Amino acid sequence: MSFQEKNIVASLSAFTTILFVYLLRVLQMIQTESFNATNLFRLWGIIALLAIVGTILLTIFTHIAGGIVHKIRTNEDPQIEDIQDERDQIIDLKGTRVAYTFSSIGVALSMLTFVFGQSPLMMFGSLIFFGILSQIVADVWRLTLYRRGF
Amino acid sequence: MERGRISNNIRKLRFFRDEMTQQQLAEKVGVTRQTIIAMEQDKYSPSLELAFRIAHVFGVPLEEIFSYHPEDAQT
Repeated sequence: MSFQEKNIVASLSAFTTILFVYLLRVLQMIQTESFNATNLFRLWGIIALLAIVGTILLTIFTHIAGGIVHKIRTNEDPQIEDIQDERDQIIDLKGTRVAYTFSSIGVALSMLTFVFGQSPLMMFGSLIFFGILSQIVADVWRLTLYRRGF
Repeated sequence: MERGRISNNIRKLRFFRDEMTQQQLAEKVGVTRQTIIAMEQDKYSPSLELAFRIAHVFGVPLEEIFSYHPEDAQT
């Protein structure tokens, strides 16, 4: 697995965990009838912090673990190919395009909640949901392109 | 418009260059080893610039390395 693929796997793991935590917390809030602006925006802050710190920590952990496994399997020192060549850049751009499309659809769907008479909180809640989901979809698409080719 | 398939014989050319490794070729043309692997497996068609750099390393014209098959549409 290349350096870029490891980064994507780390990002994918981080954002999948974050989505799970987010949905769990929102469901808990709805069940305990504490789904209000203060709690939701506090959750936004936690999610943003988790996304940054979690991705950095998971990336470091993935590379260390990958290096150890490589050393055990081949008895060679792991080489870090941290250059991003033209193929990596194209895959990154294709992933970004998917994320952009998906988040645009997410924004439109979130706005639709107003049409069905939902509260603005529901709109903000679904906005962050689609934001995280678009990142996951983009990472899955990038990994697919690395594996399948294009 | 359907896209054709671009194949190459980089693997064969590496073999005839004293078994040049994928890593050595990657370093010479400035890409990662994974990109060389993807090209050899026809999973990636390089840019024109990279194709010229590969041709320059092997010292052969471009058409000796890459061939275009318009009849084989990509899926």
